Amino acid sequence: MKRLIAIVALLCMVMSLAACTAPQTSDNKGTTPNMGNPGDPNAYYFTYKGTEIRLNGDMEVILNALGEPKNYTEETSCAFEGLDKTYTYGSFVIQTYPKADKDYVYMFWFLDDLVQTPEGVKIGDTQAAVEAAYGADSYNGRNAYILKKDNYSMTVILEDGVVSSIQYTIVIG
Amino acid sequence: MKKKSILILCVSLAVCLALLWLLQALLMPKYMANREGALIAEYYGNAGNNDVVFIGDCEVYENFSPITMWEEYGITSIIRGSPQQLIWQSYYLMEETFKYETPKVMVFNVLSMKYDTPESTKEQDQREPYNRMTLDGMRWSVSKWNAIEASMTQEEREGLGMWGYIFPLLRYHDRWSQLEAEDFQYLFRKEQISDNGYLMQTGVKPVMGEFTEAPLVDYTFGENSYYYLDKMVELCKSHGTQLVLIKAPSLSPIWWDEWDEQMENYAQEHDLVYINLLDSQEQIGIDWTTDTYDAGLHLNVYGAEKLSSYFGKILTEKCGVADRRGDPQLSAIWAEKVKIYHARKEEMEAQS
Repeated sequence: MKRLIAIVALLCMVMSLAACTAPQTSDNKGTTPNMGNPGDPNAYYFTYKGTEIRLNGDMEVILNALGEPKNYTEETSCAFEGLDKTYTYGSFVIQTYPKADKDYVYMFWFLDDLVQTPEGVKIGDTQAAVEAAYGADSYNGRNAYILKKDNYSMTVILEDGVVSSIQYTIVIG
Repeated sequence: MKKKSILILCVSLAVCLALLWLLQALLMPKYMANREGALIAEYYGNAGNNDVVFIGDCEVYENFSPITMWEEYGITSIIRGSPQQLIWQSYYLMEETFKYETPKVMVFNVLSMKYDTPESTKEQDQREPYNRMTLDGMRWSVSKWNAIEASMTQEEREGLGMWGYIFPLLRYHDRWSQLEAEDFQYLFRKEQISDNGYLMQTGVKPVMGEFTEAPLVDYTFGENSYYYLDKMVELCKSHGTQLVLIKAPSLSPIWWDEWDEQMENYAQEHDLVYINLLDSQEQIGIDWTTDTYDAGLHLNVYGAEKLSSYFGKILTEKCGVADRRGDPQLSAIWAEKVKIYHARKEEMEAQS
């Protein structure tokens, strides 16, 4: 009988240990990724016709200011309950993620030279202009400048020595 | 007295193990509502006698209907698909498949080439549950062991590691507070949720606009992806099976031209057939206002039937897959599958 108690106790101990080491994802859906704080004033942004478009910004505010986009798509979010939405305006694209019945900016990128970064860099600029704005440290040695701030990232891609893409995103933590 | 003690000890141990097994069976997700996680385990009941095996992510199990290919061409096929299945998982599923059957053609969807490591998928917190949906359903074998080894994220390795897969109870023990009716209902026996690996959807949600994604810094597929693709080529060659590479006609995620070019070159170098079905949408007859249930990511059953009808012809004419409808034994088995498929379709249509 003592042995039986010992075995049961041992199994209980194993289970308790497992309880301590098991990941927090207790169901088959995983945990919600850390996207930072909605409305974070330190997040990357740019301004278009007086409207500030900022990572983790409230999409409803942007929509109210800019109106209906030229193109819109949505897809079931891999990471969240709800939909990931993509809004294309003439010169830029905004992607959002859902959180608590609202949509927040997850990523945006430029499509032409009618928009520019707060530092004045736009598509078509030279590598020298990019380096003057952001320094040489963020150069990947091949074709891009990648800047990081908190859990945000900005990427400037070069093609044949000129800027071909400027994009900002939340780095999912 | 000593004998009696040993007997008591053995019985006690057996009871404890049985209780732990029961507890594990109860706590593991059943995937009867969230159906994707049940697909891999369904293969074993349908293994053998399949001339074509599809392997890959949601772009195979939502877009191809083996039943349609049987009805129209007499092709026996099955899909070994799971959500966000990564290329090393596909490889080990392929390896395992050869233990059960030697198909004439193995079809691999190349979208997963874009993920070079477990860490390269965007949402890390989602990676482990996706791994589980592929790996938990596999029967134990060297292939499963290696698939787990190749799939674990750093976080998994630092946590339970392989033990979490050997004893899933360690992983799922804290699901006790989230148990639902299906956990009890399907404790011992699950319902078949797919039709030879095809996960039917009857809803309609038209494409809303043109999909767009930010350009990439580097379009080159990673070394690890190529390593497993090379292994697939070797594996299929060693079994005399034709490997066919496809890109399913899903509109999102975007299949970049630079990726397409790499696959074209790879196929040419390795004497493989590579078919980008995005280029054949018109010939397939896909109508994105009626043939998708999620606005262009995947086809619904009406789109899947069109695609299967188109692809079945390729399998017959280009790959020489035989019409097996003349085989009475196979015909009887497939007649039952066809019946289940149409009953499911009717039921789902009535619900939607």
